[in-house]
Amino acid sequence: MKRFTCLLIVLFGGIVSMFSQSIAVQGTVTDENNVPLLGVNVLVKNESRGTTTDFDGNFKIENVKSGDILQFSYIGFLPKEFTITGNQSLNVQLLTDSESLEEVVVIGYGTQAKKEITGAVSVVGSKTIEELNPVRVEQALQGRVAGVNITSTSGSPGSAATISIRGISTNGDSRPLILVDGAVIEDLSVINPNDIESISVLKDATAGIYGVRAANGVILITTKGGQKNTDLRVEVDTYTGVQETSRKLPVLNATEYAVIINEAFAAGGQTPPFNDFSVLGEGTDYQDEIFREAFISDVNVNIYGGGEKATYSAGGGYLNQDGIVGGSGTNFERVSARGSFDYDILENLKLSTTSIYTHSNRSTLSENSLGSVLFNAINMAPTIPIFDADGEYSLAEGLGNEVINPIAQIANTYNNAQVDKITGTVGLAYDFFDHFTAEARYQFNYSEVRENSFFPEAFYGSGKVFNISEGRNVVNESTDYYRDYTFDAFISYNNSFNDVHNVTALLGTSVFKTTGDSYGFTGFNIPGNIYENASIENASDVVDNYLNVSNRIFDSRLLSYFARLQYNYDQKYLVSAVIRRDGSSNFGPNNKFGYFPSASVGWVMSEESFFENNIVNFFKLRSSYGILGNDRIGAYGYTSLLDAEGAYVFDNTLYYGVAAGRLSNPNLQWEEQTAFDIGIDARLFNSKLDLTVDYFKRQTDNLLLVPQVSGILGVGAPGAGAPIVNAGSVENKGWEFSLSYKEVVSDDFDFNISYNLTTLENEVLSVANENGFVSGGFFAVGQGEDPARMEAGQPIGYFYGLETNGIFQNATEIANSATQVNANPGDLRYVDQNNDGVIDTDDRINIGDPIPDLTMGLNIGFNFKNFDFSAYAFASVGNEIVRAYDRNEIRTNKTSYVLDRWTGSGTSNVYPRVNIGPNSNNVFSDFYVEDASYVRLQNVQLGYSLNNRITDQLGIRKLRFYVSVNNAFTLTEYNGYDPSASSGDPIGGGIDQGFYPVPRVYSAGLNFKF
Amino acid sequence: MKINTLKNRIIFTLVAFMAISCSDDFVNVTSENESADNYFNSEEEYQQALIGAYDLLQATYLNVMIGEIASDNTLAGGESANDVIGFQQIDKMTHNPLNQQLRDIWNWMFAGVNRANYILQYQDKTEFDGRTQVIAQARFLRAYYYFELVKFFGAVPLVIDKPLAFGDQFDIARTPASEVYDQIEADLIFAAENLPANQAQKGRITSGAANALLGKAYLYQNQFSEAAVALEKVIAGPYMLVTDYESIFEPEGENGTESVFEVQYTDEEGAGFGCLQCSEGNVAVGFNGIRNFNGPTFDSGFSFNLPLQETVDAFEAGDIRKDVAILDIEEFASQTGATYVEGYEHTGYYNRKYIARKGDLNTGDANLTNPNNYRAIRFADVLLMAAEANFKKSPPDEGKAREYLNRVRVRAELDPVQLSGNALLDQIYKDRRSELVGEGHRFFDLVRTGRAASAIDGFVVGKHELFPIPAIEIQLAGNNWEQNPNY
Repeated sequence: MKRFTCLLIVLFGGIVSMFSQSIAVQGTVTDENNVPLLGVNVLVKNESRGTTTDFDGNFKIENVKSGDILQFSYIGFLPKEFTITGNQSLNVQLLTDSESLEEVVVIGYGTQAKKEITGAVSVVGSKTIEELNPVRVEQALQGRVAGVNITSTSGSPGSAATISIRGISTNGDSRPLILVDGAVIEDLSVINPNDIESISVLKDATAGIYGVRAANGVILITTKGGQKNTDLRVEVDTYTGVQETSRKLPVLNATEYAVIINEAFAAGGQTPPFNDFSVLGEGTDYQDEIFREAFISDVNVNIYGGGEKATYSAGGGYLNQDGIVGGSGTNFERVSARGSFDYDILENLKLSTTSIYTHSNRSTLSENSLGSVLFNAINMAPTIPIFDADGEYSLAEGLGNEVINPIAQIANTYNNAQVDKITGTVGLAYDFFDHFTAEARYQFNYSEVRENSFFPEAFYGSGKVFNISEGRNVVNESTDYYRDYTFDAFISYNNSFNDVHNVTALLGTSVFKTTGDSYGFTGFNIPGNIYENASIENASDVVDNYLNVSNRIFDSRLLSYFARLQYNYDQKYLVSAVIRRDGSSNFGPNNKFGYFPSASVGWVMSEESFFENNIVNFFKLRSSYGILGNDRIGAYGYTSLLDAEGAYVFDNTLYYGVAAGRLSNPNLQWEEQTAFDIGIDARLFNSKLDLTVDYFKRQTDNLLLVPQVSGILGVGAPGAGAPIVNAGSVENKGWEFSLSYKEVVSDDFDFNISYNLTTLENEVLSVANENGFVSGGFFAVGQGEDPARMEAGQPIGYFYGLETNGIFQNATEIANSATQVNANPGDLRYVDQNNDGVIDTDDRINIGDPIPDLTMGLNIGFNFKNFDFSAYAFASVGNEIVRAYDRNEIRTNKTSYVLDRWTGSGTSNVYPRVNIGPNSNNVFSDFYVEDASYVRLQNVQLGYSLNNRITDQLGIRKLRFYVSVNNAFTLTEYNGYDPSASSGDPIGGGIDQGFYPVPRVYSAGLNFKF
Repeated sequence: MKINTLKNRIIFTLVAFMAISCSDDFVNVTSENESADNYFNSEEEYQQALIGAYDLLQATYLNVMIGEIASDNTLAGGESANDVIGFQQIDKMTHNPLNQQLRDIWNWMFAGVNRANYILQYQDKTEFDGRTQVIAQARFLRAYYYFELVKFFGAVPLVIDKPLAFGDQFDIARTPASEVYDQIEADLIFAAENLPANQAQKGRITSGAANALLGKAYLYQNQFSEAAVALEKVIAGPYMLVTDYESIFEPEGENGTESVFEVQYTDEEGAGFGCLQCSEGNVAVGFNGIRNFNGPTFDSGFSFNLPLQETVDAFEAGDIRKDVAILDIEEFASQTGATYVEGYEHTGYYNRKYIARKGDLNTGDANLTNPNNYRAIRFADVLLMAAEANFKKSPPDEGKAREYLNRVRVRAELDPVQLSGNALLDQIYKDRRSELVGEGHRFFDLVRTGRAASAIDGFVVGKHELFPIPAIEIQLAGNNWEQNPNY
């Protein structure tokens, strides 16, 4: 057959050669950014001939003819084929293959080829970040990485997001360890997403290399750097956009309000206050007044380059985001600058440095709490206009003590925080004895956080808790300084024996020290009652906030040794083992040091001869198991300090004394997590389909918690408290599933689809304090017990309240039910869980929890000619939320569900009657708990890039314009602003008291590279 | 060769770095805040700790409120039937061991005990002039907090001269009330003997305060002779009744000649609902205040602790104390044009002695930072207790009883009485109510004199004399204690 083919070629060769003689083809190979690629393999298909590209990406192949196919391949890029049509100069662009098996992944104190990884590690690259335009780094992870759940704590500019990796494994601080170029970062708002090259998420026992800090997962961020032998390249990325609220709540208008209030008064046996409805009309919807369209703009400039021995990069960025509530009353501004410089001092001695400087400035309004701006906007009576007859802000009389005119509140809010932060790293790597590399790295952070707030004199109505009387305006100023450094030194050994035994060994030590000190003052009576004068220098009666209270200074340290051994046999059988010894100063003298072992194995089945097939190109089975720790408690957590408040008045002067704070517990130790993972990585259909499936199970024991302890120990004193103890365990288990498919259909069209799904089952196994639970959260005024609990057999932070069973329709139903205080027809009927004939606190049960059972992400993208399109959706299923934004005061406004209230037998079995008399409808029950499952179209983006011909003529590499919509729409049954509302607290999260909704953003931008 | 040297140097440096970080001592860090175990090295440090022990006096605002709400003087009030459920239940005698306010009292009073014990544990550590006075004040404070505990809960765990450590709570029993009283008496006798009659600083404990509290403690145990002796030491001087009864409860009347012991408050520092016991202000005053009030003289509040019509009617005609103790808000509003909102259980009356007044700094939250001192032991109270003790002791001294009673009545611009026998005792009781209404004594007076069941709706004899130990506190202390009877 082959011979026959040859014959044909010989026979027809003459004819063909009439218009396709043997020719030479030359060209340039670049990446998407038109950066020339060095060392790309160029092969003539079905021949063994080929060449590689030079420094400038140029290649030349002789003796080919029209119709021959050239194959271009390069590690980390999708291969490409090109059919020769004539004597031409080719410009070949290779697309990055973010899923490449040869790609190296940062795994902590080193990198590893994706193919050889035995743990559950997910990577997000700069391309994803570019597609999403996130304001914050966390947004780039949401729905992109299976097992990582991001919840916004607010939609206000600069607000934080909560990251939880594979569930919530602690009632305490569940934040993962985040390292930027090796330096610990606690506040991601100071990181400009545009500076990021890649993000690795270590989700399983692989994180064990970080020992006592690994239990919440580890996120490793690498910032952008230059490449050797490249000319100076400049990239400009900018966008500007308009933001708006994604939702307004339907509240009663003035007429509806008056009808409801009258009915409630009548039901309570009092005279209805409104006589003439006709004058009321629509009234004021305060939401219309506080929600604004707000601008956002972002510009970033980056330069890169490198020579024979050195590479460099630098970047600067500026972000300015106004808030959708209260206009510029909420704002976030960030200026960032970044640089990196790597230099080969000797052939085997390499220096690397990075530095990041960030300045941010954030203004906030009070949010998601009783008396916060949105809470007030919902509860303010619609009959009260914004301004009274004299043009002053109307008073919110008769609406309870916390509800005030939100417009006045915005006008009187001055709340500002500024952060200056410098992060720097310097490292030396030295190769010796052929297989050894010794590396020493020093990483530091320094930050200053300056906050000030001013509360001018204001009268919002009688008895309001926010009233500030004359001469008593308040200014607060605080400055916090944080310093930390990490010093890592390690030696790695890398060798292969007999071509099949591949060994990598690592031995190292790490020292971490973080310190901080805080200064804060409160003063009164600023002259002129204006913000411009609001400084402590101008205040009188200045109080030092740190005179006796709390730790003004902290010092927390970590001393670690670690070793890792990785071995594989012919890239087929993979083993990795890690041990780390950590000493943490946060723990008691009896338990400062701990050992954290972990191990993982992998089997690349597709390398086996029996596995050969055409569908599955790669198949790896892997599993990991290990012990990880969590040391996230404050410094000196085990000891008792004289840091409580002890103040008393003699001779009308306040004297500050001393008193013991939290009780001590010298046996305190870290939380200990046992993490298990089993999973597969597979590639199918010519590696177009990429599949990863994981099952994980993580059990955290010795939870760090502050239990309730007996009052006879004196813990009720101001500033005193129970000791931190190790008591309790939590289990998280679930499945992760991610699938991606990409196909280059033609030079003009390629597309990709990826989907991921995570299931999560969270259960508290034990809480070993005396009453068996820890509670938290806040539901409503005057309700003694916390609505959320952590208790054995239940998910962490589940909602604990009464179950309802419809509405009492008539007196007979009440008579036939368990005794319920103040029950009348039209009131909620509660379920007598313990069948004792009485509805009381003993009838409370689990009525929901804020942890989603299932989260999903779906990304679709395609490139067609010069257009690119991407869309990304996120879904969260099975999470509940507590509707706590109704004040339920006699005259506060209500959301419009009360229009469907019970008004007589058979009228409603869901919404109770309105009534100002004694009733039990406001007790915490499942009436206030809603299903907050949602699907959100998180981002849609359409871009257009100028044709290569034009860009070449202009002498630039790339020019792309795009438009995008963030948070385009949300499908949910939830009644409140935003189903993703959560404070992020493990116990007490998912309670909505007027959550600042995540804005919808319409933006347009450009990427410009030359 | 050169490179080799460099190589060696680098390896040496790396190894040296690793060696430097090898000491485990690196993670032994101590705070710059003093540790609780290493204190009391100077007079200054004793004085500082003493201030910490005084601090919890301010938390007794709650005890005062409950002393009224539980009694027949007032209704709970508030915003609604669900507002501070704990008050509502106590008002109706439906309180149970889950009551949050009772738990607060338990926690806060024991916090005071622990802070006093912290000083007393180290009472011999450092010698200095005036140490005995520091110890005497600490012992008075411990007695004050224990007296509140025994008044509310009866038998309570008695711990002396050391703060309890974590773990100790499982091995401690409730001490019978009589033994707790023995310790209270011992502490107060020590304090009375070692403290001066006058202190340079207003607000400091005096020997008079110690004797007055000692007399009160005897009275609560029906030891009338001892009570009379202790109280008459106070009557001997240097106290006097203030002529203008109304002035006592105004800012200018604070720490006056009638003040035997007064809990000091200030409006200088802010406070919030998250930690009511942290407030340096009198929280009760804001809670008692007029709901959504807008007008002269007074400030707004939360409309708790509302006097009943019956309480108003209990004043004799011409008793000048009535208009000082009771604010008829409807009348006041019609006279001044003031506005207010009717809260839950609105009676038309407010507890005028302790409602928010205009003129203070109103540091936020203004409802929680009212500066009104609580006149814990007034000389009039001492006279009335002495009258009762002299009447009840054996043999009785009705002459003295009448004399003390009449001193109080005359100041109230009422005629002196010439009564004797049970009529005299009834009059002492009546005037005690009229004199002290709104000051937190009524419930405990009714209980200790056996009159509670007839006066208070829902009061069950054999049960409501004591409040229940908070159920959770029984659990947290290892489930070793029995609940008070019938709860």
